[in-house]
Amino acid sequence: MARTFLALIVLVVMLAADGDARAQLSSRPYRIYAITFRGMTDVEKGFQDYFAARRIPVQITFRDLNRDNTRMPGFLEEIRRTKPDLVYTWGTGVTLGVAGTYDNVDPQVHITDIPIVFTLVAAPVLAKVVRDLKNPGRNVTGVFHVAPTETQIRAMASYRPFKSIGILYTPTEQNSVVVVEEVREVSKRLGFSVIAKPLKLDANKKVTSEGAPEMVRELKQQNVEWLYLPPDTYLGTQAKSIIIPAAMAAGIPTFASTEQLMEAGALTGLVSRYHAIGQFTAYKAEQILVNKVPPAKIPVETLTRFALQVRMDVAEQLKLPPPLPMFNYAELITAKPEPPAPIPPAPTK
Amino acid sequence: MGTIRVRFITVALVVSFFAVGMAAFLNYFKYKSTISGIVKSRVLVIGRNIENSVQASLSVGMQFMEIGTMNALLAREKASDRLIRGIDVFDHTGQVLYSTDRGRVGEKVLVGWTDAAARSKSTEWSLEGDEEYVAGISLKNNFDLTVGYLALRYSSEEVQRAAKVAGREILLAAVLSFVGIALIAPLALIVVIRRFERDLRTLETAAGHLEDRTEQPATTGSAFDGAIGNLRSSLRDANASLDELRAKLDAAAPR
Amino acid sequence: MLEKNYLWRIYWRLAGVIMVCVVIALAVVSYFSHAVFQRELVPETEQKAATVGASVRALVLKATGYGIDFSSLYGVEQTFAEVFEENPEFAYMAITNTDGNVLFARGSEPIGARTHFRNPVVLQIAHETTEMSKAARVGEQYIVSMPINDDGKPLGVLHVGIDSKFVEHVLLEVLLDVVVVLVVSLFFTLELLNFMAGARLASGLGEFARQVERMKSGDFTATARIRANDEIGRLLRRIDSAIDHLNVRYEFLVGELQDKMRTAAGAQREALRPAAQALEQIGKRFHFGSAPEASDSDEMNLNRIRAPLFAFILAEELTRSYLPTYVNQLLVTIPGISPQVVIGLPIMLFMLIVALGQPYLGSWSERVGRRKAMLVGAMIATVGFAGTALAYNLYDLLLWRSLCALGYAMVFVAAQGYVLDRTGQQNRAQGFALFIGAIMVATVCGPSIGGILADNIGFRMSFGVSAVMALLSILAIARLPTVEIRPVTTKATRAPRMREVMALVMNKRFMTLTGLAAMPAKIILTGVCFYLVPLYIVSIGNTSTMAGRMLMVYAVMMVLIVPLSASLSDATMRRDRYVSVGLIISGMSGLLLLLSDSFLVLFGVVFLLGLGQALSIAAQSALVAEHCQEEIRIYGHDAVYGVYRLLERLGNALGPLIASLLVVLWGYQGAFIALSALVLFCGVAFTIATRGSDWEPAPAR
Repeated sequence: MARTFLALIVLVVMLAADGDARAQLSSRPYRIYAITFRGMTDVEKGFQDYFAARRIPVQITFRDLNRDNTRMPGFLEEIRRTKPDLVYTWGTGVTLGVAGTYDNVDPQVHITDIPIVFTLVAAPVLAKVVRDLKNPGRNVTGVFHVAPTETQIRAMASYRPFKSIGILYTPTEQNSVVVVEEVREVSKRLGFSVIAKPLKLDANKKVTSEGAPEMVRELKQQNVEWLYLPPDTYLGTQAKSIIIPAAMAAGIPTFASTEQLMEAGALTGLVSRYHAIGQFTAYKAEQILVNKVPPAKIPVETLTRFALQVRMDVAEQLKLPPPLPMFNYAELITAKPEPPAPIPPAPTK
Repeated sequence: MGTIRVRFITVALVVSFFAVGMAAFLNYFKYKSTISGIVKSRVLVIGRNIENSVQASLSVGMQFMEIGTMNALLAREKASDRLIRGIDVFDHTGQVLYSTDRGRVGEKVLVGWTDAAARSKSTEWSLEGDEEYVAGISLKNNFDLTVGYLALRYSSEEVQRAAKVAGREILLAAVLSFVGIALIAPLALIVVIRRFERDLRTLETAAGHLEDRTEQPATTGSAFDGAIGNLRSSLRDANASLDELRAKLDAAAPR
Repeated sequence: MLEKNYLWRIYWRLAGVIMVCVVIALAVVSYFSHAVFQRELVPETEQKAATVGASVRALVLKATGYGIDFSSLYGVEQTFAEVFEENPEFAYMAITNTDGNVLFARGSEPIGARTHFRNPVVLQIAHETTEMSKAARVGEQYIVSMPINDDGKPLGVLHVGIDSKFVEHVLLEVLLDVVVVLVVSLFFTLELLNFMAGARLASGLGEFARQVERMKSGDFTATARIRANDEIGRLLRRIDSAIDHLNVRYEFLVGELQDKMRTAAGAQREALRPAAQALEQIGKRFHFGSAPEASDSDEMNLNRIRAPLFAFILAEELTRSYLPTYVNQLLVTIPGISPQVVIGLPIMLFMLIVALGQPYLGSWSERVGRRKAMLVGAMIATVGFAGTALAYNLYDLLLWRSLCALGYAMVFVAAQGYVLDRTGQQNRAQGFALFIGAIMVATVCGPSIGGILADNIGFRMSFGVSAVMALLSILAIARLPTVEIRPVTTKATRAPRMREVMALVMNKRFMTLTGLAAMPAKIILTGVCFYLVPLYIVSIGNTSTMAGRMLMVYAVMMVLIVPLSASLSDATMRRDRYVSVGLIISGMSGLLLLLSDSFLVLFGVVFLLGLGQALSIAAQSALVAEHCQEEIRIYGHDAVYGVYRLLERLGNALGPLIASLLVVLWGYQGAFIALSALVLFCGVAFTIATRGSDWEPAPAR
């Protein structure tokens, strides 16, 4: 009996090996239709690099929306006509244009029969792209790029521990409001206090940066140890000129939640490298194309490791040098715009 | 000396041989694993240095296969410890991408390496060959996908020499204590056995005198007193009956 | 029986003395080992400290390279803490400036460190520009110091302190294993005492006791036996000779009387009458003459089965604690089957072969002879073990394990038959106690030693050890008496027929006992002990040695409790209550993991499991005879017990399968809990089912 069983197993294995070999032989490249929002970014470079590194043959058709939503129907029509193996969508707007929200899909408009992989959607659940990150449940999966709030808070604490942080945010941006709520949640668990101040609204109920420097000074008086800059679109536009200079004047270190805020001059921040995001998106695409996993079963995820960036000139101004262990992993940005050496020469002789 | 005594002593010797042997075995292997652990972690410290640099390169968007400064980095780190014979970086197929020995680039590493790396539950893995030991680190990218493996080959001499020295001494200690036991145990055992033997001797003597018609000898305090008493009384009974028969027979004899 | 107890007292005393000697020897070995460890490990650790230090220094220099002032570095202590976490043997780290003042430090500072740091010789280190380090003993630590030198500009000195106690910690870790060795040694001692001296002594003393009893009852028949040439033998010969004398005297008297009776007449004859009456009396009270040829010291031959059986079972038990982990290593992915289930396959196959093979092998061993059957079985198993040691992958491993299973079943059945052949109604229980005893001691010694071996010399070599053990058992089996005893009374045992199996499986009373008690008990045994424990322990980063210790706890519980519960279950409580309580305790064991997932809790799990199993195991099979009298009457004793054993052993095979499926569904902890819950449920159901008066034990026959 054992022998029969053994023979059976051997047979199954041989069949499986055969199937594998067939997959290897097929050399027809996978066809991917990619729609970007504002031209090519590092994400697309990472996306392509991944396939090249893995020697997976792909043929990618790039289409750029160029911030003009009227072009979308044409793209959708082209997708229907060319029937690619996969659709790649950049950002929340493009993704919703192609796939629709989960509770409002129009098969006449949206693509439902071709797997969609999205990238750079900040809040896929909030934007109603998927209902559940772990289990998308529709023909859509992808990658989001904002580090989980708790991860950001912990990164902040590892730079300098704190008992109290301040936040400025735009009350009319739902995304920011949600993040502020999340920070409050985390604060209960980790034990620190949060002083969150909404930016003022003008007579037209439009948000304004007026009074922001005063709010930063107030925060300083309330003894906050950090100023957390949430992923807030309006804040992003005001950070460089108003908010970060005010924080520097008050001597409060700033923590950036996005690359844009980091570029605006924050002391430190946890950001996703676009290139890595692109690679991860390609990895998801590989799962669908090569491993034949249905997108509905592929979790929507973000990177497990983010780039911790530190502006050394800001650190020096604030007299807050990064802690020693951070020199092992942080990306240290020096004042002079010299590209950081990928492998710094060991200072030892 | 009785055969029982010999048997008991043999048991003592066999058991202590086992126990001392196992203890020596355990100590030796603990020593060996400790020392190879120390050496391995020393090598891995250097491995971590390399990993940090690789991570830095990856996170600024460099492709794993295109890290130009890698070979120089490996050469520098190799020089920092005389123990290290070579450092290789290979991909999941086992193909060497970077190495301190230029000749190895493009070649395949031993299958055992990729297996060991794949089996390891953490990012660290290791392998002990005859000539060379290998300590390795799995290099992961920003989304936890293993992009390659770092392998530090180091000489097994240091560990093996230390193990040999320690092994010899532990063996010596074990032999000495076994010899010690072989001398002490019989003496200690004899104390216990003597009592047993005395009991048996009493029994034997008693058995030898079973047929004596004398009164029961004074109790010896041996565990067999009861049994001997029983034996004696049964025999006495039987003999008494036979005596009676004898007497009756004699009485009937014609005078 | 006085003699048995007497002998055991002697054994324990001997074992005590031997243990004391062994402990002293172990202490001596440990002492010497400590010296070696100290001498060899310290320099090696200093080297490592230098490398770790260099890495920290590189980090410091990287930071200063970015323009951060050396004395205002931040988070240095944090770096130190990370170093300690990775290297527990380091107790202290500090950075001083060029004056020897401590700038950053973490850990416990040894006494005299400050003075040491200001020592000019130590301060000189700061000015070194080469990769160098110096080690010195300061207080309870070895301090390794190295320069922090930025391109010729001395900044300070980095010190790494190694706790001199770390050597002791390393040895302490061995200590637990040494304790295991001690426990195993104790069992070995008792087993060996019994094997090398005990078998003869026990049978000799038993013979003596019987002789005493016989004579007490007036039986003075002479036995013509060959007495061993030892103390007991001599003693018995003395008694023999006393009996011989008595017999000679009796013969003589009888002869004389008969002679006289023949020649005498009349009054003469009358005068002889009292003597004749006396003789008649004697004839009533005593027996003289020669005894019928007794079967040659059965008890001694019975005892001789113990050593080979022990050696053989030990070979198999050695593999218990690491077999699943080994399989895991050789794993080949089988499409469609979860790897967890595949790991359980070899164990399942093993149990299945044993279960299905036993009924057939029983009659086979009867035909070819027990000794020969055992020899063949042990040889097959030896090949199996050797093959397992060299296995290429899972597929041939399955084949080798099947051989082991076949051999195991053969030896087991044949040994059982050997005992059956040599015991009668009155000493059968004693015979099986001996049989079970050998197996239990093997289960105590095997897994723990096996785990230690596997961790140190590897899985393959450990299987090699098992092969050698099986080979040794062949030698011991070869020494068994070649004469087979075939009891004429018992008819040939046979495998249960399908019809009987079906009928019994449909039988409610039989299945209550088998399906709710016997099978669940076996399922949890093999599922937890042979499958879950070894895998779970290793999966949480522990070793096979630890798994072995766990299994030893189980076995020790069995050894301690089974004899107790076996004697109690006859006396104090209804047998089915023992089964109920046992099942419920077993069923609660795994639920402990709901409290915590620490491996210490796992000790509690095996402890409870062992306790539960031990309580119910003895009562279980006795219950069959008690409650299924009706069935026994219809189908016969052999058939009922045959089916019972078959189903019980199928439970053995099901255990790993069920456990592995549960692991796939809910992970290891979930599997422990679910399996326990299943048994708990069965235990409760059994209790309810046996509540009625229908289940009152039958009156003693």
